[in-house]
Amino acid sequence: MNPSELLTRLSQTLRTDIAPAVGEEYPRTQAFMASVILERLAKHVALADAHGRAEADDLDVLTSDLRPLLRDAPLAVTETLDTVVGIDSLGPVIEALYRWKAAGREGSAMDGTEIADQALAMIRPALRRDIDRRMEIAT
Amino acid sequence: MSDSPQDIGELEATLGSYLADKLEATGPVNIEGIERIAVGWSHETWLFDAAWSDEDGPRARGFCLRRDPGNALLRDTSDLGEQFRVLQCLEATEVPAPRVYWYEPDPSVLGASALVMEKVAGECPSPWRRAGREYYAAAADRGVLPLSFTDALASIHNVDWHAVGLDFLGVPELGTDFARREIAKWKAFALDSGHPGHPIFADLVGWLESNAPATDRLTLVHGAFRTGNVLIDDDRVSAVLDWELQVIGDPMYDVAYMLTELNRTGTDLLSNVVPRELFFERYESATGITIDTDRCRYYQLLYAMRSAAFWMSAAGLYADGANNDLRLARTEWSVTVALEQAAAELGY
Repeated sequence: MNPSELLTRLSQTLRTDIAPAVGEEYPRTQAFMASVILERLAKHVALADAHGRAEADDLDVLTSDLRPLLRDAPLAVTETLDTVVGIDSLGPVIEALYRWKAAGREGSAMDGTEIADQALAMIRPALRRDIDRRMEIAT
Repeated sequence: MSDSPQDIGELEATLGSYLADKLEATGPVNIEGIERIAVGWSHETWLFDAAWSDEDGPRARGFCLRRDPGNALLRDTSDLGEQFRVLQCLEATEVPAPRVYWYEPDPSVLGASALVMEKVAGECPSPWRRAGREYYAAAADRGVLPLSFTDALASIHNVDWHAVGLDFLGVPELGTDFARREIAKWKAFALDSGHPGHPIFADLVGWLESNAPATDRLTLVHGAFRTGNVLIDDDRVSAVLDWELQVIGDPMYDVAYMLTELNRTGTDLLSNVVPRELFFERYESATGITIDTDRCRYYQLLYAMRSAAFWMSAAGLYADGANNDLRLARTEWSVTVALEQAAAELGY
């Protein structure tokens, strides 16, 4: 029995044997909830390798597309790109792109609206695939 | 505290002693029928009846006690003291709301900071359960509740908030200030949660900041006006509850919450109870405010951000050991669901 199967089995035991036998409402609800959480963790463990490979592939393609596009972007943008180690670390890049757009609108810097929008359009499909992977576990 | 008979007995004794003083009772105050409702993540809520005698003879009254357990969700955005002030301000208005009696910030008095208010007649079926949805569908067919529900929201937006002293909630400038304040509030809330977040949240915040709509009219905004947050008695709203998210702001923020699909299940009725056309006609007539569906769509994205921040905070409460309720641990995956919906709303 691998770890994912063990977690699934534990979840089932909690749901069918343990939780229904608990008399008080609050601990019974907690036991059912523990069952749900173990079920999610079982999915997480089972899918971890496949999700990890898919994320790495997405990240390779994305960063190799973004680097030439953002070659002439302000340092505040390109610096954040250097810190990206996974899809979930793209937040600072996105924030820097929005700041670049806002600064351009206010006339205080080179207007990067078009390039920033192109960069965001590149990032979003990767975010969609990432959240889809997470939804496989969450639902 | 738990709901064990021993703890409840202690609470009854504490309340009896407390009310004897507050009510100027000439003898003991008997506490009866005490029950805890809304067991979960927010402030503790207890209902009970009290019987006592004073100089005018025997008396009886129902009370509601709300206490801050110290680890409730949203406790930093609206504490009981603020709720007490808001409800005090609303007493002189048309808004159906519980009358408040006392606020005790000192936790040594009632075991936690607490407020005591009127026990209002009515029921509050959960719209997330089948029985609740059936209740609202039947009420919609009878036709009285949809009108009363809409009127309750209109009464909130018609409050002369300056005249009744609600300025303390903070007054945004006309224009984009209200939306920007809400974004900043929920962004800080998410950051404080310690949750690592997800880049979709950053994208959502960036989009909201870039597209903040201008507001040309400020009203009192409830912030979570839906079925499940109002008491209903004889098909009429007897009290609007959950005064935890109120602000002075754009009335479309509440209207968007009415219109959102997130607050209805398997029905076109807004908030499971009001036909859309009736709502538009009745609300606009009662308030003189024209519903701006574009602004409502924007605020629905702001609600997606708020939901994500809320679930991040909930998951954080469990993760950092502040609260051991496993329902909070499960909300880790609710963050994912909220962000997936946000991504779809943003077009990807």
